[in-house]
Amino acid sequence: MTTAQFPTLADSGLSAEAAALATGTAEHPIHSDHTPTGQLAFGAFFQGVNSSTIWRLPSSGDQVAWESFESLVRTAERGKFAAFFLGEGLRLREHRKVPFELDVAGRPDAQTLLAALAAATDRIGLVATQNTTYNDPVDLARRLQTLDLLSGGRAGWNIVTTDNAWTGENFRRGGYLDHADRYLHAEAFVEVAEQYWRGESISHDGAHYSVRTQGDLPASAQGRPVLFQAGASPAGQDFAARTADVIFSPHGGLEAAVDFRRSITERVVAAGRDPGSVKILPGAEIILAPTEAEAEEKVRWVRDLQVGPEQAIALLEQYWGRDLSGFDPEGPLPDVAPEVSESGVTRGAGFQFAKAEELTRTWREEAAQKGQSILEFAREKSGARRGTFTGSYDTVAERLADFARLGAIDGLNITPWLIPSGLDDIVDHLVPRLQERGVYPAEYAGATLRENLGLDPL
Amino acid sequence: MSTTTSSPSSVAHGHGAPAPDATTAATSDPGRALPVLAVDLVADPELLEGLADLARGLEAAGVGALTISDGGLHPIHVASHLAPLTRDVALLPRTDAVYVEPFHLATQLMSLDHISHGRAGWLLTAETDPAVAAAVGRTTLGLEATAREAADVLEASRLIWDSWAPDAVVRDTGRGVYVDASRLQYADFTGETFSVRGPAITPRSPQGLVPVLVADTDRAAAGERAAVELADGRALDLDVSTGSGAVLETVDAARADEDGPPVHLVRLVGLDLEADPLGTVTELATALREQGLVAPAPTTGQSLREQLGLPLPPYSNDPARRSDRARLTSKDPA
Repeated sequence: MTTAQFPTLADSGLSAEAAALATGTAEHPIHSDHTPTGQLAFGAFFQGVNSSTIWRLPSSGDQVAWESFESLVRTAERGKFAAFFLGEGLRLREHRKVPFELDVAGRPDAQTLLAALAAATDRIGLVATQNTTYNDPVDLARRLQTLDLLSGGRAGWNIVTTDNAWTGENFRRGGYLDHADRYLHAEAFVEVAEQYWRGESISHDGAHYSVRTQGDLPASAQGRPVLFQAGASPAGQDFAARTADVIFSPHGGLEAAVDFRRSITERVVAAGRDPGSVKILPGAEIILAPTEAEAEEKVRWVRDLQVGPEQAIALLEQYWGRDLSGFDPEGPLPDVAPEVSESGVTRGAGFQFAKAEELTRTWREEAAQKGQSILEFAREKSGARRGTFTGSYDTVAERLADFARLGAIDGLNITPWLIPSGLDDIVDHLVPRLQERGVYPAEYAGATLRENLGLDPL
Repeated sequence: MSTTTSSPSSVAHGHGAPAPDATTAATSDPGRALPVLAVDLVADPELLEGLADLARGLEAAGVGALTISDGGLHPIHVASHLAPLTRDVALLPRTDAVYVEPFHLATQLMSLDHISHGRAGWLLTAETDPAVAAAVGRTTLGLEATAREAADVLEASRLIWDSWAPDAVVRDTGRGVYVDASRLQYADFTGETFSVRGPAITPRSPQGLVPVLVADTDRAAAGERAAVELADGRALDLDVSTGSGAVLETVDAARADEDGPPVHLVRLVGLDLEADPLGTVTELATALREQGLVAPAPTTGQSLREQLGLPLPPYSNDPARRSDRARLTSKDPA
């Protein structure tokens, strides 16, 4: 077969930036083992606890009210989103040993809520972030299968791991897991869950627990819940390549996304799986307006509302490990040394393991070079922590079409910056433009989450 | 619906022609308010297809509460699934307190309370089946230890439910504060086999403390402490699988018994839900109401606590567990 039978890269409508990243044929633009589907699937990620959800506006809704979730999930379903995700945090975040007061905090249990949302929706997938360290595998597997059966095959599990004793203080097992063991533990956990879903008799004696039981529920319409994993580190990527159906990547930039796709493709092939059997959905924030100029203005407005002076100081305190309340948010970054060698774990996974000495020095230099105040710097950092797609409706649609045609990603997992109306402009203005470009489904492909993510039947 | 009142003390007056003794009992002692009529649904996967219609049918028949028993599907998820499909009926998963992570269990139940707008309850069971222990890699506890564990988990759950003040989410735009840490408290529960730090990851739910009842069937395993001292009341179990002959007499006798915990729920179990469940339930509900033996059907917006005649529990702030104590301590003069 020659490539002449297929459209060339130039014909496929790629931008110059995207075409420059393509090293292969039109069929396999970025890796010889990977064939782009040219399609995007959207997920809505209701994180529940974070600094990106704005609570200061009159239109900021209740973060735990049923009506907020119902309204948001209905909008997502109207926009043919493949999935609705809920985040998880098993201890209320703390800052300097006091529950963190400045961000949205407090959320319902993910699966309990999704079981209710299953009754309020027809097609959208329902994905619960659930920790392998502080759950019992059979109990969790049974809950997920219950959700899968209640929803007619629309359940998913975003597998996360934790190893810290601070979170463990809320659980029977405490902080019993070494950092290095968390993926080994997670893999054994997932294997037990899969045995349960297959209706097998389970007799597992592992390093961390023993299980004797029998899977006793019927299989759901999609066989078992879809497995999601956010594997950024090499160990995490390998774990995901062996076990996951979908990977959440942190890579919102095109070049980084292409590199990540190549890395995952290699690992998935090495694990003996078809590269098309693992989808990649980067986490994303989308800020849209009718024109570029309006979008720029809107990004500034959103950042101002997300990160106030108090949050800017608190962000730095997290890395400095000391009281910085005496510093002026409008002034330069603190010229004092941090009191910790590593940042704490108490603000959740996104804040862990940065080497404080090195990081604070780099930040001071970076801010000084750009002439940024604490506030300006914190606002920029806050946006940089996630993939961000900002611009006019048409610009963002064109950019996403590039990602799709190149096969860099299979979709986006979108965190709305406002609850519950934060998906409205995406559904009303971006989705139709993506549909016009042929990179987003006009209708749900089927009744199950597997089908709507373009995954082959089990 | 014949009554629209939501005041628990006036419930008995507003309906039909209650027997004089029942009215007196309900008004003179709020702890002895008329029990709520409940129907037990076994969460069997076979039941899934008709589940929504069945729940709505039972609600329409005037049933005050549904208890969701374990039949394979997880009772809490099934209860939660039924919440948006129903409007007035209370939802009580009958679920284990022993072979669980207490923090997850408490969070799930208070989430059900949020989702159902205050219609959640917990029908506490203490599991004795060794298969359940083996599934979570634990060994079966003896009867005494099981009872102790159930009481510990119930106490821990209440501390978790009580860890956010009702007004903890302040959204103070002036100070940039979303949640006020001084209105949160740690659970700080230490039991025989586990401890929980807290606070809850979920804000206080509409009922504050989710009502906890223990069914007669489960009383022995749950132990006297959980069933009698700690729980809000008892569920009188009426097995109607062999007909509904002596139901009225049994309810009457149980309510007259002053020794045990108050009968808060009259629970019909063993109904043949494939045959004609609505007919049987409607008939029984009518007869029980005519005799003034059970509370009227719930009205929209009525919480389970209101149905049961339980007052809304005030938030109890324990200064020793205030979650911003670290801040207070650090401000002490050196």
